[in-house]
Amino acid sequence: MAVTDLTARPTSASVMRASALRRRLLVWVPAGFLLLLMAVCFLGPYVLPLPSPIGGSVLDSALPPGSPGHPLGTDTDGNDVLARLIHGGRSSLFVAITVNSIGLIVGGLIGAVSAYAGGVTDAIIMRALDILIAFPSLVLIIVIAQGLGPSVPTTILALIAFSIPAVARLARAATLRVTSMPFIQAAELSGSPAWRVLLRHIAPNIAPQLLSFLMLGMGIIIVAEGGLSFLGLGIPVPNPSWGNMIFSGQQALSATPLQVLWPSLALLFTVLSFNLLGENLRDEMTGR
Amino acid sequence: MTAPTLNQVARTGERSSFLGRASGSPLMRLVARRLFVSILIVWAISALVFAMLAAMPGDVARNQAGMGASEEQVDDLRRQLGLDQPPVARYFLWLSAVFRGDFGSSLISGQPISTLVAERLPVTMELVLLAFVVSLAIAIPVAVLAARKPGGIFDRGVMVVSMTLLAVPNYVLALLLVVVFAVLLRMLPAIGYVPLSEGIIPNLISVTLPVAALAIPLAAFYTRFLRGDLVEVMNSQDYVETARSKGAGPWRVLWQHAFRNSSFGMLTIVGLNIGGLVGGTVIIEQIFAMPGLGVMLLQGALSGDSPVVLVCVIIFAAVAVGANLVVDLMYAVLDPRIRYGSH
Repeated sequence: MAVTDLTARPTSASVMRASALRRRLLVWVPAGFLLLLMAVCFLGPYVLPLPSPIGGSVLDSALPPGSPGHPLGTDTDGNDVLARLIHGGRSSLFVAITVNSIGLIVGGLIGAVSAYAGGVTDAIIMRALDILIAFPSLVLIIVIAQGLGPSVPTTILALIAFSIPAVARLARAATLRVTSMPFIQAAELSGSPAWRVLLRHIAPNIAPQLLSFLMLGMGIIIVAEGGLSFLGLGIPVPNPSWGNMIFSGQQALSATPLQVLWPSLALLFTVLSFNLLGENLRDEMTGR
Repeated sequence: MTAPTLNQVARTGERSSFLGRASGSPLMRLVARRLFVSILIVWAISALVFAMLAAMPGDVARNQAGMGASEEQVDDLRRQLGLDQPPVARYFLWLSAVFRGDFGSSLISGQPISTLVAERLPVTMELVLLAFVVSLAIAIPVAVLAARKPGGIFDRGVMVVSMTLLAVPNYVLALLLVVVFAVLLRMLPAIGYVPLSEGIIPNLISVTLPVAALAIPLAAFYTRFLRGDLVEVMNSQDYVETARSKGAGPWRVLWQHAFRNSSFGMLTIVGLNIGGLVGGTVIIEQIFAMPGLGVMLLQGALSGDSPVVLVCVIIFAAVAVGANLVVDLMYAVLDPRIRYGSH
C-alpha cells in the first residue's frame, strides 16, 4: 500500500454525484429489467392473451413481425414467436434459479464444512472437487445429459454437477478467511457446537460474497442451458427454450433471419443484466 | 471486474492458499508432487467417466445388431465387444490395454480410436491455440491503453464493449459472424475445414470464423481482467510509486513495472481458461462443421459410442489438468519467493 497517493486529483462534488448516480443506475436498470422479465415469464402465460407456444399450424408458418395476433410473427412451424420467447424464458429462468439455489446451498455447505473441519476431511473433499473441476464442464454436462436423455430434470442435474464444485471452492476460500477472525474463536470458547458456529457465525459472513457470485452464476447457467438446448441435449423440442429457438432459427437463417434474432437478444440482455448486477454488488461490498 | 466462468471465479480465490502450502518444499519436490497429483486426477476421472458410462441406460450390442437380430446374434456381438463382463473387470481390461498403447476402437465405425484422435486432435488444438494467440494479441494492448487513463473515454468505451461481448454466448456470436461474413458479405466460408496440407492460406481462411467466435469473448474477458489488475497495481503498489518518483515515464511504469506484475495473474487466468476453452470448442466445432475432437465427443455421446466418449473426455481433462500444472510450475519458476521456499 502506498503511504501517500501522489497521483490523486481532487474531485469536485458534482463529479462525485454523477458517478454515484451512474453506479446506482447500473444496479437499478438491470435489476428492473430482470424483475420485469421474471414477471412476464412467470405470470405472462396466465395473464397475457398469448397463443400456445407449441402445436402451431403450417398454414401460419413464417409470418412476418406485426402480423395480426402475432406481434413478433411466427416461426417455420407456425408457432407464435412471442409466446415461445416468454415460455422459453420461463424454462431458462426456472432452470437457472433451481440450479443456482441448489448449487449455493449444497456447494456452500460443502465448502464451509470442509474449511471449518480442516485436516483429513478438508483434504479429501478438496481432492474430490479438484477432480470435478478438472472436468471441462461442458463435456461433463454433455455426457450426463445424453446418458439420461434430454429433459428439464436432466438439464438441471447436469448443470448442478457443474455448479456445486465451483460454489464449494469459493465458499471454502471465504470460510478460511472468516475462521481466523476473533469472533469465531470467541464463539467456540463460549461452547457453541460446530453446527451453530457454522450457521450463526460463518454463514452470514460468507453469504454476501456467495450472493454476488450467484448473479454471475445465473448468467453462466443460462448460457450453458442455452448451449445444451442448442445441441439438442437440454429442454426437449417442441417445448421452447432460448437455446433451441436459436438452433431452429439457425436452420431457417436464410428464410427468416429475424427468427434467430429474438432469442439471441433475450439471452444477451438477460445475461448482461445478471453480469452487471453481480459485478456492481461485488464492487459495493469490496468498497471499490 | 470481470465475469469469468464459475470455475475460474472459484479457483482464483484458492490459489494463494495452495501456493502457501506448496511453498514449504523445494522446487523439485514440488514438481514431482504436482505431477503425481495430476496423473492421479486424470486417472480418477477415467474411472469416474467409465462408471458413469457403464451406469447409463441403453444396450449398445442390441442397437448395433439391428432390428432383425436374433437373441444369439446379440449375445455374440456383446461377447465380441466385451460387454458381457462386469464393469469393474471391463475397466481394468481397458486400463491395461491403454498402458499397452491400445485405446480400443469405436463401437460404431470399428476404427481404432488412436487413429481417430490423431486425425481430430490437431484440428481442435489449432482452433484453441489460435484463439489464445488472437485473444491475447487483442487483450494486452487494449488493456494497457485503457489502464493508461482509468475512467477516460477510451477506458470507458473498452469497458462497455467488453461487458457486452462477455454477455454474448459463443454460439450466438458464431451465428452472427456467419450471417455477416458468410451470408451478407460472402467473404469467408460458413462451414468446413481445409487441412494444413492443402496450403496455409486456405487453412487459415477456413478457421477464421471459428477462431473469431472463440477468441472474441476470451479477449473481452482478458481485457477486463488485465485492465482491472493494472489499475489496482498502479494505484496501490509502492514500487510503482518508486518508479514514478525516479522519473520513469507513464508508459515505462505501465509496461516495465505494472504489466510485469499483472502478467502473473494473467498467467493463472489463462491456465484456468484452457479447460473451459477446450470444452467450448464442442459447440463451435459443431456450428462450423470442424472435424475436431469436440464433434467426435458429441457424436460419440449421441450415438452411445462409449469408448470414444471415454477417450475424448480423458483428453479434454488431461489438457485442462496439464495446463493448470504448467501454470503452477511456471509460477514456481518465475516467483523467487516460491522457488526458494520462503513466503
